[in-house]
Amino acid sequence: MTTLARRLILLAIGLLSGLCAWPAAELILFLQAGFPSYLIFSVFLGAVTGGLMGAFFGAAEGITSRVKSRIPTGLVLGALVGLVGGGLGLLAGQAVLWLIGTLVMQSYASFQRVVLPLSHAIGWAVLGVFVGAGEGVRAGSLKKIGIGILGGMAGGLLGGFVLEYGRLLLPRAGISRLFGFAVLGLAIGGFYGLIERGMSFGIFRILTGGLKGKEFLLNQRRMRLGRSPRNEIALPSYEDLADRQAQVRIRKGEVVLVNLEPRLPILVNEQKIDERRLRLGDVIRIGSARIFYKYE
Amino acid sequence: MTLKHPRALILSLLLFFPGIGFALNISLAQIDASRLLVTQNVRVYVSVTNDQGMPVQGLEKDAFKIAESSDGVSFQEIPQISVFIPNAGAVSGMTFLLLIDDSGSMYDTLDGRATTDPSLMRITHAKDAVRTLLAGMTNPADRVGLAYFNTSYHLLSRPTTDRRGIDRLLDGIQRPAPDQAYTELYASLALAAQEFAGIQGRKAIIVLSDGENYPYVQHAGKTHPVFGNRIFTYTESVTANQEEGNTIYAVNFGTGSVPDKNLKDIALQTGGKIFDARNRDELAGVYDTIHQQVAGEYLLTYRATLIPAEKKYVRASITAPDGEVSVTRFYFASTVFGLPLSRLTLLLVIPFVLAILLLWGLSLLRLERKDEPARLEVLQTQVGHAVTRVVPLTTAKTVIGGSTKADLTIVGAPQVKEQHATILFDQKTKSYTVVGTGDILVNNQPVKTRTLESGDVIDVGGAVIVFDDEKKGGK
Repeated sequence: MTTLARRLILLAIGLLSGLCAWPAAELILFLQAGFPSYLIFSVFLGAVTGGLMGAFFGAAEGITSRVKSRIPTGLVLGALVGLVGGGLGLLAGQAVLWLIGTLVMQSYASFQRVVLPLSHAIGWAVLGVFVGAGEGVRAGSLKKIGIGILGGMAGGLLGGFVLEYGRLLLPRAGISRLFGFAVLGLAIGGFYGLIERGMSFGIFRILTGGLKGKEFLLNQRRMRLGRSPRNEIALPSYEDLADRQAQVRIRKGEVVLVNLEPRLPILVNEQKIDERRLRLGDVIRIGSARIFYKYE
Repeated sequence: MTLKHPRALILSLLLFFPGIGFALNISLAQIDASRLLVTQNVRVYVSVTNDQGMPVQGLEKDAFKIAESSDGVSFQEIPQISVFIPNAGAVSGMTFLLLIDDSGSMYDTLDGRATTDPSLMRITHAKDAVRTLLAGMTNPADRVGLAYFNTSYHLLSRPTTDRRGIDRLLDGIQRPAPDQAYTELYASLALAAQEFAGIQGRKAIIVLSDGENYPYVQHAGKTHPVFGNRIFTYTESVTANQEEGNTIYAVNFGTGSVPDKNLKDIALQTGGKIFDARNRDELAGVYDTIHQQVAGEYLLTYRATLIPAEKKYVRASITAPDGEVSVTRFYFASTVFGLPLSRLTLLLVIPFVLAILLLWGLSLLRLERKDEPARLEVLQTQVGHAVTRVVPLTTAKTVIGGSTKADLTIVGAPQVKEQHATILFDQKTKSYTVVGTGDILVNNQPVKTRTLESGDVIDVGGAVIVFDDEKKGGK
């Protein structure tokens, strides 16, 4: 899978996550008056929407890395992280919304025009930050947390504004809320795809076997490579390599490949290596897999 | 009902004997919803004053009723006031707006006669009164703003702690031109209500006026430059200030024999009081009276409803001898996702199910590639570009080079020869071999000729080409 295809799939998954979370949110909103308190209402609403969106983003990695076995675990873990993040996020968003709404600009005249859209957008952004960060928490990657936070913040702000101004244009609030969710999901998915690339130290393109054409972004300080689906660079359908065969480290901006299983050789440009600083254009051979190291 | 003060006794007697006329005013000095998210509680400071604008003390919890509403029309009664504290008002600093009447009649004498002697004019007394008020504001945390009005409303200063600055601004208030000399009292009070935007705590407007609302449209017979043909009523100025929680105190410069009823009512209904401009002692005591009122407020804590609303209206009411009096203010109750739909539809299931199905569909994307015939694929070029990116190896001999006749042509790269490399297919061993006429690298190693395995990377003058033969070598 090329980077472009990966980006498009992430966008699609983001859109779908919003599409899925929206009806759930509508149902809970409809039952608002029956909740015992705003605290429970906010946490529950955030947990359900965050959990659904988290499940979609959690499944994304399994889908784009074409390792099917990672989809269910990613989905469940993503849902759990999203549940917690969404619950906390909506609570925090609600707190921020009320802080702005009551303390900063409680003015009757500009209530509809300024207070509502601004405070809503910020409330959404806080929720987005938590939901976006969730995928990074799940993957255990600080960089991904940062990317997710940016995506969630941008998407939340935009989604919140779309919601508020959409409601002024289209009086049917439900539909504009759907757009709000879609924008939030799209932005988080888009940021996962876009910024990740800008922050990467190059790409491993697989040249052989079942994952032929798949490109792995080198975007974490340490990434493991091997047969096990748990690795960041998982090559499960390949032979003559260990479950955890190698580690890719970023050291002072340079990419270093380390062989963790010396009994199974790794070749870089046909030379056996234990540890090697990679240069763009290097050809790596690990078991039956061939990998081309490139930048773009 | 336990009674601690004689005044409370009198009041309770009055409450039980409605025959005795006794008008009460109720105002919501402050709604504190800051703990709503954590405790679900809202705290309201309620001020109850009598027909003299003096605080009424000794009231019991049962005298008060609280209701909430999403639209200000249909209210839901709160079953219980959980915490009730009398004499609870305390302020670190208040915010005042001094609003001075600068209409034509303010340039008459206190008795309402025309004069040319400035020292006899109401406006001069009003400026003196303002200076007395400023001098009486002893709390340095107090903020004061200044505005005046005639045909139009003019803000001179937003509320500030710089009281000397306010004093200096007073001289800027000059006698208006005849067309500007009308008295838009009600409109100005409604506009002044907005000057406290974003300010917390107790807020009050002190208006110094002869109380005579004399609208431009009505009396000049022309359209007002700002208000158009709209004529403000005194209830509009009351409501605008009640919603912002502003108390209006009025210093009346009207002639003693004909006090303006509406100015008094505006003050009383917002929880304030009317003072007589001629009584110097009373003027000097305005500030103390205000503080006394604040100190006499009742603090009511109740559990808020979850009625969906962008702003939720709170109505506090009290049973007075002449009927129930109530006041309504709102607090910000908007939730992040906004108001619910007016009704749910089963159609909502569609996007939910659709999203899940499409995610499932995405997960079914072809995960493994099918066997394809052997081929060359250009990964990247340093200089120039490949005419075709993928070339199947279907013939015994495949030429890579700069020539347009080559099977895989790389154009715009001078270091690539016309026929730079050739891939040969051996029928017997079913294997492919690359032969370089120019310099070539396989897996970054210089070679002249080399039998290829699937995944080998051939560098032809900077063009990186991968050899792909999954059926055979690649596994």
